[in-house]
Amino acid sequence: MKESIIIIYIAAVILLVLGYFIGGWNMILDGLNISIKTAYRSFLMLLASFIIIGQLNVLLTAEVIEKWLQKFKGIKAIIVSAIAGGLFPGGPYIYYPFVSSFKEKKLPFYILISFLFGKQVFDFSRIPLEASLVSPDIALIRYLITFPIPIIVGLIALRFFQDTTAFDFSLKAGEKHGPDNDNP
Amino acid sequence: MAQTTIILSIIALVLIVINTKTNGKQYMGLKIGLKQFIKTMPVILGAFILAGIIEVMIPKEFVQNWLSKEAGLKGIFLGTFGGMLLAMGPYAFYPIVASLMVSGAGLGTIISMITGWALLGLSKAPFEIGFFGVDFTIKKTICSLPFSLVAGLIAYFLELIVFS
Repeated sequence: MKESIIIIYIAAVILLVLGYFIGGWNMILDGLNISIKTAYRSFLMLLASFIIIGQLNVLLTAEVIEKWLQKFKGIKAIIVSAIAGGLFPGGPYIYYPFVSSFKEKKLPFYILISFLFGKQVFDFSRIPLEASLVSPDIALIRYLITFPIPIIVGLIALRFFQDTTAFDFSLKAGEKHGPDNDNP
Repeated sequence: MAQTTIILSIIALVLIVINTKTNGKQYMGLKIGLKQFIKTMPVILGAFILAGIIEVMIPKEFVQNWLSKEAGLKGIFLGTFGGMLLAMGPYAFYPIVASLMVSGAGLGTIISMITGWALLGLSKAPFEIGFFGVDFTIKKTICSLPFSLVAGLIAYFLELIVFS
């Protein structure tokens, strides 16, 4: 978060200086005026969005989602894991370790891949933010257009890596089998 | 705008009721949400400043030639790679997208930008490499690229056929 703040404010300062040289104080004031208006208009929407995010966080825990993933196989599993990915709360520092745990559970590779794409494409907790900060219409169109992506990717993985587990995949990717490392 | 606020508030209330009835963790949810709201406020405010300045600074000719509906494929490619390079969280990314939209960027550019950011965003690369390796990250990026371009292309035709 600290890095994001630093990057954003450095970029803002650079643009403000550039804006001053291009259009003088008028351009800067126009820009800041737009920023203040947007912040004022979005405040309540953002507040509601974060309440939704918080409630989803306690409603859908990693344990609940893990139970869903272990129940299904084949196409059903792809759809469930893509949606579960979309519902899984948290940023990359939370979901990557979770997806990585699929290796130990020996879940199929196609479940891993559809979950990962589901998280990145759907991420339902992003809907309120996308609707409030961009536009509800854009959010709707974007979700409708990209909805099949995790399912298509999952089906491709099912077709070509049907018998590959997330564990086998990590071995192919160059990771050594844990117990073998202990052997002299 | 008011309609979106009302819909979001209703969803928030429904989720509070569900949590009250199922696990009793509604207050914890509120606490988590508000904590995150306060924590991300500086990023959001910074992004609003950035977006406001972009909106007034971005030359109309650039938007017209490279990002608008008329830019066609150029806008979709630029949107995809722009989304990929904007290595930042949703709080900072969405206001920038909104400012480009207000400046006149086409639907294809906007959709490919959001999809490119979601699928290819460089901010996720360190985690992906860390947990799955460089090989997986490169393959996933190559496989994801056409999806982002196709999403932009669908949106472009949608704008061309339905919205014009």
